[in-house]
Amino acid sequence: MRNAYSVGLVLLIGLSLLFAAGIVAGEATDRWFFGGALVGALLIAYSIIVLLLRKMGLIGPRKAER
Amino acid sequence: MSVTSPEPRTGYGRLMTGVLRGTLKLDVLVNRIYPSDFNPLYYTGGLANLFLFVLVLSGIFLFFYYEASLGGAFASVQYLTERVPYGGIVRGIHRYAADGFIIAVLLHLLRNWFTDRYLFSRDNPWISGMFLLVFGGVIGFTGYQLVWDDRAQALTAMFLAMLRVLPGGEPLARVFVGGAGISDGTLVRILFLHIGPASALYVLLWWHYTRLRHPKIWPPAVWVLFCVGVVFLLAGVIPALSGRPAAPAAQPTAFPLDVFFLWPFWLMNWLGAPGVVVLLGLLTVAGFAIPYLGRRERPQEMDVRHAGVAQVIDGNCTGCELCYFDCPYNAIVMVPSPAPGLSRAAANRTLLAVVVESRCVECGICIGACPFEALELPKFLERDVKTRVLEAVRA
Repeated sequence: MRNAYSVGLVLLIGLSLLFAAGIVAGEATDRWFFGGALVGALLIAYSIIVLLLRKMGLIGPRKAER
Repeated sequence: MSVTSPEPRTGYGRLMTGVLRGTLKLDVLVNRIYPSDFNPLYYTGGLANLFLFVLVLSGIFLFFYYEASLGGAFASVQYLTERVPYGGIVRGIHRYAADGFIIAVLLHLLRNWFTDRYLFSRDNPWISGMFLLVFGGVIGFTGYQLVWDDRAQALTAMFLAMLRVLPGGEPLARVFVGGAGISDGTLVRILFLHIGPASALYVLLWWHYTRLRHPKIWPPAVWVLFCVGVVFLLAGVIPALSGRPAAPAAQPTAFPLDVFFLWPFWLMNWLGAPGVVVLLGLLTVAGFAIPYLGRRERPQEMDVRHAGVAQVIDGNCTGCELCYFDCPYNAIVMVPSPAPGLSRAAANRTLLAVVVESRCVECGICIGACPFEALELPKFLERDVKTRVLEAVRA
């Protein structure tokens, strides 16, 4: 399972880079809705990265719940 | 005294027991996907708070550009959407965060309803929560009016029809529009009815939290990122746009519907203004009355609830504050100890726990929190609990 999570992480990191590049492209061409949507996509990718890191045991749980 | 609660006899009781079991099963299911500290169902209140925060920030931005006049409202919103860099995105964020807020509030309401977290001393957050919901509905509706497009015009006409149904409704309608007919003053009033109740939400939130010691007011980072991301994504992919500009001669009969805020106006197709007013009134009264109606267990069936206000056994209290931190009702305060305790552990204490009787709900949480046997419920002693547990285990 850890391998699957690792593959997912790599994919999401790649996607995030793509989204970040899209945000810059949207800003450069004044396509604000495009850029804004990619900010959202980037945040969603980050949220899934955080979830996978947690499932892999690399972050959390919170101190109170250890 | 009976340890187990009797099976509910009424249809309502059986229904609520069914939904309680369903809610708990859903919890278990979600906990298989997410770690339990990431379970969004545990943070519905925090999610509503997150969306409210997004609404306030985006609303402040929109306010800088908005012009509250018949001639300027539509144009200012169009300028913001089309000409201001990322203005359309911020408008979309404001619109979708409002939907997110209502969804989170409704989930929060249903979850607390289905899990009985509105009974007894919890009626306080329930009532304040109902005010939050009603205020949220009003704010959302007035937000659609502020754009002053054909939908806003139709909504205003329908709302005035609903106001006129009420006793004394005609003067109310005149106060709402600011005279005999719609004018610049109408939009100023609507703007006030949008921002005034929005500011009041934070006062209501203070009331909502006032009896809770550890409210979960913010979701975990994973959900903050996800929810803000979804709002941005929707704002970019399905932009919030205006309809046609409102015109005095136009009488629009159809408009795009937001199911979370505008459903009463959709129902007017069948119920008419009087029917919708009666329905909204009934729903509001029923919502506020839920803590006082349809209790599944009567007090005498829940004898543990009548165990008496918790009492501090002065000689045993060490002033460790465990009960103070565990009491969810703020019913225990720590005061400077007037004298040392009697037990060895309590000999050097500096603080003493005191129970605020008006706040104690006799739940017994403090008894479990105290390792020094310094608290007791007078009619439900710890040794009796142990005896009953042992009897239950043996049986």
